[in-house]
Amino acid sequence: MSNPADRETVHITSCPHDCGGRCVLKVHVRGGRVRRIETDEGEEPQLRACARGRAYRQRLYAPDRVQTPLRRTGKRGQGAFEPVSWDAALDEVAGRMLDIRRRRGNEAIMYIAYSGNTGTFLHSQLGVFRLLTLFGGFTPCWGSASFWGSLFSSEATYGTLVAGHTPDDILKAKLILMWGWNPAETVQKTNTAWYLARAREQGTHIVAIDPRFTDSAAAFARQWVPIRPGTDTAMLIAMAHVMITGDLYDRAFIEKYTSGFGQFKDYVLGAADGIPKTPAWAAAITGVAEEKIAALARLYATMKPAKLLTLGAPGRSAFGEQFHRAAATLAAMTGNIGIYGGEPAGFGLAPAGLKPEAGTGLIARRMPGNLPEGARQRRAIHITKLWDAILAGSQGGYGADYKMAYITNANPVNQFMNSNRAAEALSSLEFVVVHEQVLTATARYADIVLPVNTHLERNDIIRPWQGGPYCIYMKQLVESLHESKSDLDICRLLAPRLGIDSYGDMSDEDWLREFWQEARGMTHGEELPDYDRFREMGLHRMQREKPAIAFEQLAAEKPFNTPSGRIEIYSTTIADRHDPQLPPIPTWIEPWEGPQAAREGAYPLQLISTHSKRRIHSNMHTVSWLRDLEPHTVWINPVDARARGICNGGRVRVFNDRGAVAIEARVTGRIMPGVVSMGQGAWYQPDENGIDRGGCVNVLLNDTHSPAGAFCSNSCLVEITREP
Amino acid sequence: MQRGFYFDQSRCTGCYACEIACRDWHDIQDTSVKWRRVTATEQGAYPDVQLSYISLSCLHCADPACRGACPADAIHKRESDGTMLVDADTCLGADACGACRSACPYNAPQFGPGPEAKMQMCTMCHERLEQGKQPVCVAACPMRALDCGEMAELQKKYGACSEARGFACSVRTRPSIIIKPRYE
Repeated sequence: MSNPADRETVHITSCPHDCGGRCVLKVHVRGGRVRRIETDEGEEPQLRACARGRAYRQRLYAPDRVQTPLRRTGKRGQGAFEPVSWDAALDEVAGRMLDIRRRRGNEAIMYIAYSGNTGTFLHSQLGVFRLLTLFGGFTPCWGSASFWGSLFSSEATYGTLVAGHTPDDILKAKLILMWGWNPAETVQKTNTAWYLARAREQGTHIVAIDPRFTDSAAAFARQWVPIRPGTDTAMLIAMAHVMITGDLYDRAFIEKYTSGFGQFKDYVLGAADGIPKTPAWAAAITGVAEEKIAALARLYATMKPAKLLTLGAPGRSAFGEQFHRAAATLAAMTGNIGIYGGEPAGFGLAPAGLKPEAGTGLIARRMPGNLPEGARQRRAIHITKLWDAILAGSQGGYGADYKMAYITNANPVNQFMNSNRAAEALSSLEFVVVHEQVLTATARYADIVLPVNTHLERNDIIRPWQGGPYCIYMKQLVESLHESKSDLDICRLLAPRLGIDSYGDMSDEDWLREFWQEARGMTHGEELPDYDRFREMGLHRMQREKPAIAFEQLAAEKPFNTPSGRIEIYSTTIADRHDPQLPPIPTWIEPWEGPQAAREGAYPLQLISTHSKRRIHSNMHTVSWLRDLEPHTVWINPVDARARGICNGGRVRVFNDRGAVAIEARVTGRIMPGVVSMGQGAWYQPDENGIDRGGCVNVLLNDTHSPAGAFCSNSCLVEITREP
Repeated sequence: MQRGFYFDQSRCTGCYACEIACRDWHDIQDTSVKWRRVTATEQGAYPDVQLSYISLSCLHCADPACRGACPADAIHKRESDGTMLVDADTCLGADACGACRSACPYNAPQFGPGPEAKMQMCTMCHERLEQGKQPVCVAACPMRALDCGEMAELQKKYGACSEARGFACSVRTRPSIIIKPRYE
């Protein structure tokens, strides 16, 4: 807040974006402005922030911040807007919502919200969710672009998402398999990369299995095993074959803690289909040499404790849930569950600090009229099917004919698949309202854009979303810039206009105080300070002597919350679905737009979407300090580049039937032949011919999902040519 | 005494936190000016490829070439700790001179845009050192790959190597840096 003495004060806060980390920012404020940002200087392990956090001042004061409410004046997508008053904007939003509800019913209003704020207690999509619920319901979306395959598999196999370890446990492993996992760029729990470096220094054997030689592979791994995207499941199953035929698996663990191993074994050995899933079988699918697969299997089976670490990438493919089911099965076969230095290869939440329900769950339960009335919601739409649902409506088998999209905490045109179709879909609606901080690709399709403040301009509490023994009070440090407001304040102003008198008059401070009180009982046993002390401290660290590991209580009567109480290699919940595309044992299924289709069809290159270290998804893409660090490129192997006459730094066109992207080529041996990659999150910018000049990878992606709901962003085929 | 930097290249993941922390702390808005810069070096052919990063600023050389090249006597070495100081008022500017830029083998002297731009470069955060803090890049590194201190002390701790991929050490200037290389 403004400081009359003009003295510089320093405050602890964090970032609320959808990043795998949760770090400390120490923000210097003078004269009501943020002047500098430092990071944690306290006791080790310090929670040091990355380049993105350190550049946050530029995002706060970005010239492209939405300053006032905006009303569209040009065509949708064109980006022509006029400033309007809050009253005019809110009256228009409320008027259109009431009209659409009267004519078409609540289900005609689609609410698209995603991960713009992650791990926050108060400021997230849930304030809007609640408003729309009180309004009588809406059509929500479901799914995750990040890790649905992992989430689904962890629930089915272990009965929980708390199936990870805190990163300090990395130091206790003898072997680490980084499977499609690149924490040097994606962070995946603050300090993970630091622990990996120290593990390497102490002699831990680290292997990277990845189509790319990532920064993590270069810094930590002794061996890089390039693998064709979408084929990881085949390699894991062949590793199981080596362990079974070589009698290298942990029989005692399998017998005591798992169910369904017999069926899996039959499948692996080929009892049912006559195909033994040998390393030779997998080599033909994966492109990994037979002896490499066998050697890695023997290593994993014999070097204990061992971590198979992964998050979402290999599972972000057609039938991606099978990858995570297979990875967990191998963790069980090697007995690396419930032990220090091991890893269940499940969803990575660690049993430390605040539980997940201490974030979003609080709003759900504490705010009257919210999720418990979710019964009013109509059929939810998967995030990959939003555009199809809007364009096809009830005729296409969807629950309604959608007339309006309410979009907050999300940039779906850019971040969900098939951006050209997104543009077409949003352009077809009667009304689109977007809450935003900057004029994103999605905001350009809005009729009304409402300016939202950043976390530095409001109070909140945040926890590391993957679990960790600390939490951070994110104090308001400066007044809201321009005319921006929080999503909650926007809802407070909209509620009476929508005829809702029960949205409540509790302040942010009141809510946070109440949530914190309840959160104090929602930890993994750690004590939390009272609200005022926590607010004063900013960072609260919970002392731990040891790493926190999942399933430490293996001796308990029912250590796993599955129907059988065991690790379900054969999943009864999956079996109950009777979906032939979703077998109850981990199974290799040839993906659509995978290596086989690449050999046979018009588009011979497998495209994978990666994270970029200069953005958090599409957040911060326009921050010039970060843009300067690295050019946005498509990676291509010299072999593939030569065949197409492409040189390093040259302009190329990446295309398939769904669209075309103009981008710079980076010719590099860091990616395997037949595979190309683009960092997701660059902003969609179609030109008059429909060619995306912004380099948005989702222009190329197939808007469909795996049988269990995984976002298949790594199942995509393209061709590349020199820019005509 | 001579203060210098230590850089553990084997740990560096190329995250750029040091570069951005420097930019923010010293409020260097223009991206053409880099007091600290991270660069990548890629070698070999698929699948035997090697990648390393290097994070460099002014190396506060024991025999700085920039100082000798400056016709205006605008570049000095602090007696107390051997760090380099630039007197912007005396500097003749980018277009009129720029001799330091040509003389420095490490591309440390920086000029912003415009013909009048004066030279600027890493100060080793002397204002932070005076408060007993490390330079902001050192305090920023998520990998704890940077250190700063008296060269004699650093050599005791880390040895005397100053060779690594992506860095051409000029023996002539005697740069105040110790590097643990990723590849031997």
